Amino acid sequence: MKKKIVCLLAMTLAAVAVTGCGTQKDAGKTFTVGFDAEYPPYGYMDDNGEYTGFDLELAQAVCDMEGWELVKTPIDWDSKDMELDSGSIDCIWNGFTINGREDDYEWTQAYADNSQVIVVAEGSGIASLADLAGKTVGVQAASAALELLQGDQADLAGTFSGLQEFADYNSAFVELQAGSVDAVAMDIGVANYQLKTRGEGYKILDEVLNSEQYGVGFKKGNTELCEIVDKDLTKLAEDGTVAKLAEKYDISDLICIGK
Amino acid sequence: MSTAMIFSQLAAGMLKSISIFCWTLLFSLPLGMLIAFGRMSKNPVIRGLVKIYISVMRGTPLMLQLMVVFYGPFYLWEANISGYRYPAIIIAFSINYAAYFGEIYRSGIESMPVGQYEAAEILGYRPAQTFVHIILPQVIKRVLPALTNELVTLVKDTSLAFSLAYMEMFTIAKQIAAKETTFIPFVVAGIFYFIFNFVVAAGMEWVEKRFGYYR
Repeated sequence: MKKKIVCLLAMTLAAVAVTGCGTQKDAGKTFTVGFDAEYPPYGYMDDNGEYTGFDLELAQAVCDMEGWELVKTPIDWDSKDMELDSGSIDCIWNGFTINGREDDYEWTQAYADNSQVIVVAEGSGIASLADLAGKTVGVQAASAALELLQGDQADLAGTFSGLQEFADYNSAFVELQAGSVDAVAMDIGVANYQLKTRGEGYKILDEVLNSEQYGVGFKKGNTELCEIVDKDLTKLAEDGTVAKLAEKYDISDLICIGK
Repeated sequence: MSTAMIFSQLAAGMLKSISIFCWTLLFSLPLGMLIAFGRMSKNPVIRGLVKIYISVMRGTPLMLQLMVVFYGPFYLWEANISGYRYPAIIIAFSINYAAYFGEIYRSGIESMPVGQYEAAEILGYRPAQTFVHIILPQVIKRVLPALTNELVTLVKDTSLAFSLAYMEMFTIAKQIAAKETTFIPFVVAGIFYFIFNFVVAAGMEWVEKRFGYYR
């Protein structure tokens, strides 16, 4: 009996050792993209358990042109700088806001517009940013929206009765439904996706908090790789690949490259 | 995503969580014994160093230790850390849990009456023999409940591997939840953790029974 258990344990360990090594990357021409897999429609896990999204498919198109093998590495967004610095990823490509970070990374040209918007419950009676005075507003921790509300839009945030940070959009929308927050600030692409999947009951305010742009960020000094990808993006915009992908993910309005 | 797909995705993640669990135990259980001996050493230098080790391991968050073990080599020596993600997770978990195991072993060893050592000496046992044949079997029995506590905690702690972007079960649950905009993946993840812990606890109970030969 004891032998059997030891044997079984050894086999499990051997099996996981093999699978554990399977994820290591080869020395060949690979292009490792770091992305947040909780960020639909730009990067997420699809119905088959594969990572996909607008940004990842665009990265795949670049790799196809260059003959690279695309390695999709989901990262913890809070550790993105450490992942990039240490070389475990080549770039951050996932709804990565350029504005405010211009000097921290090597950037390609911007490929999509983004704005920070406010989502409210439909029957709330909130129709403008001014109506948010005295209300509780939710915002994702470590997000661009939070940075904005603590920075350029701090005056507006001052009129709120409180700023509630949350970990993910599920919690935020439940709180919105339950009435413990009155509004939630987020990226427009994310807001559209959330409203589309959740159905009726919410709306996006016409007034936006700001407009910003998404680009691909490389480690400071890695100009060579950055320029290759930048050139390829221009080509992909010209031959219509970008537009086709944008249509697939329903973000055509937001694309700014090649316009 | 269909419910069946959620289950199969999370089951794949569960295997990875279990692999962290198994490898961590493989290294930390023996390492804990070394730490227990170091902590009880007559040499004040060894004892002091081990004390510092234990207090650092227990006194700082495991998530921070994971990051230090993985990114540390790059920031300190510019080392290439590609392919090091999984080993880093196992190393961090092992050295952390070894500190706790060491203290559990010590509590067991120090609870043994001095009379047993004296009796063994009179009967002609050498110190090493005394420990292996008389003390250790009793210690194992005594520390099993405390060990079970730690094992169950370890199962749940495997979710901390998300901070190194390792795709264990909880990380996958978060990703599916984001895509599906529901909480259901978390409920499924909870069920998986519970079942695994149930098995671990049942296994430990069985071991306890096997060691309960004097009762």
